[in-house]
Amino acid sequence: MHDFIDRIIAYVHWVLFLFLEALSGFLLFQYNHYQGSIWFTQANTVSGIVHEWESGILSYLRMPAENAALVRRNIILQHNLNVLRHTVPTQPSQGEAFSPSPSGELEGCCLSLIPARIIDNSVRKRDNMLVIDVGSEDGVAPEMGVVSGSGVVGIVSGVTPHHALVMSILNSHSSISCRLRGTEYFGYMKWTGGNPLRAYMDDVPRHAHIKKGDVIETSGFSNVFPAGIFLGKVAEIKNSSDGLAYELEILLGTDLANLRHVNVINNFSKAELDSLMAQ
Amino acid sequence: MIISILKRMTWALLLLLVQVLILDQVHPWGYGAPLLCPLIIITLPLGTSRIEALLWGFGVGFVADIFAGTSGISSAALTFIAFIQPPLLGLMAPRDFDEQLHPSFSAMGRWNYLQFILLLLFFHHVVYFALEGFSYFLLADIAISMGVSYVASLVLILLVERVRNPQK
Repeated sequence: MHDFIDRIIAYVHWVLFLFLEALSGFLLFQYNHYQGSIWFTQANTVSGIVHEWESGILSYLRMPAENAALVRRNIILQHNLNVLRHTVPTQPSQGEAFSPSPSGELEGCCLSLIPARIIDNSVRKRDNMLVIDVGSEDGVAPEMGVVSGSGVVGIVSGVTPHHALVMSILNSHSSISCRLRGTEYFGYMKWTGGNPLRAYMDDVPRHAHIKKGDVIETSGFSNVFPAGIFLGKVAEIKNSSDGLAYELEILLGTDLANLRHVNVINNFSKAELDSLMAQ
Repeated sequence: MIISILKRMTWALLLLLVQVLILDQVHPWGYGAPLLCPLIIITLPLGTSRIEALLWGFGVGFVADIFAGTSGISSAALTFIAFIQPPLLGLMAPRDFDEQLHPSFSAMGRWNYLQFILLLLFFHHVVYFALEGFSYFLLADIAISMGVSYVASLVLILLVERVRNPQK
């Protein structure tokens, strides 16, 4: 009997090893249910504070680049304003046909924007997530869209009081409803890993007239994003694996590796629509 | 005993901070980043009980996971090398070692210690990237990420070891 117990003790490290590996495996698979495991992610309070502290220093260091980008953006907007000033009065009869720019639509009756700063970010993994410095106390809730000045960034997947975990578009689970600007052809934009500037849109019918450089924008079907937000441009037109449709390679408008400031879209009509769907 | 554990904790915390605040933010060519955490397990002294080594591996991995958003991956990989570190160190340590041999270039000899690092780092990266790329269909991408990260981690670890323990 003594011998038996001694033998068990001699192998106890095997038991512990298998137990710890099993625990790691559990955490790994549990992570697929994003909502349930938010406390085990970068959005928990302790790592949130550390990342926030780091991001404060980094954003100070990156101020010159950020300033340059803002100036450039200002110039573009000013130019657009000028163009609009000139077109609107000269076409009074077509005033109603004039369609506002996508960014003009953003703050309509049913939308509000919550400004946020990215405090943790990655682009090198297969399932990338971001953490932003606003949470449920700022009005952020899961399933809200996140955008930057240059396009779509991701969708909120979990919130704590002061932070939110965002599923980046650079995530194998991400799927954004999108369409070709100016047409009704729609599909889903997906990311398959690798280059953080390339994504794919599949199921585009073969009779669609597409050329390189065409703009891909959100379709507005999912209610997470309003219609018309810039996603990227067509970089390559390929055949889908079954040969029945086109697969478009998209050059993304947002460089997620180099992003600090974003906005969370609070879509008031989404709640109404969801309750209508539930009925 | 307590002092040596506190010392190791400070060492682990320092490496974790460098990993989380600096290394996790660099993406060399868009592929895998250098991983410094294995060094905490590599430098566990001879005579560390296997249970203690395993707890170190899992603990360090768990913290690294939470900060990097890779739940379970680092803890699995570090637990794995913490499991093989004590017997491997026993095999590769010089015959005339003292009881509390701390793995380093000067204590184990240059070539021996390099082999020791190469092996443990290799096993760590195999587990880490196999789990990260789980159900990944682009096998070539995992291999490239692993290769880039392996070389980057190795260079970094050798650098840290050089600074920590300069050769005469």
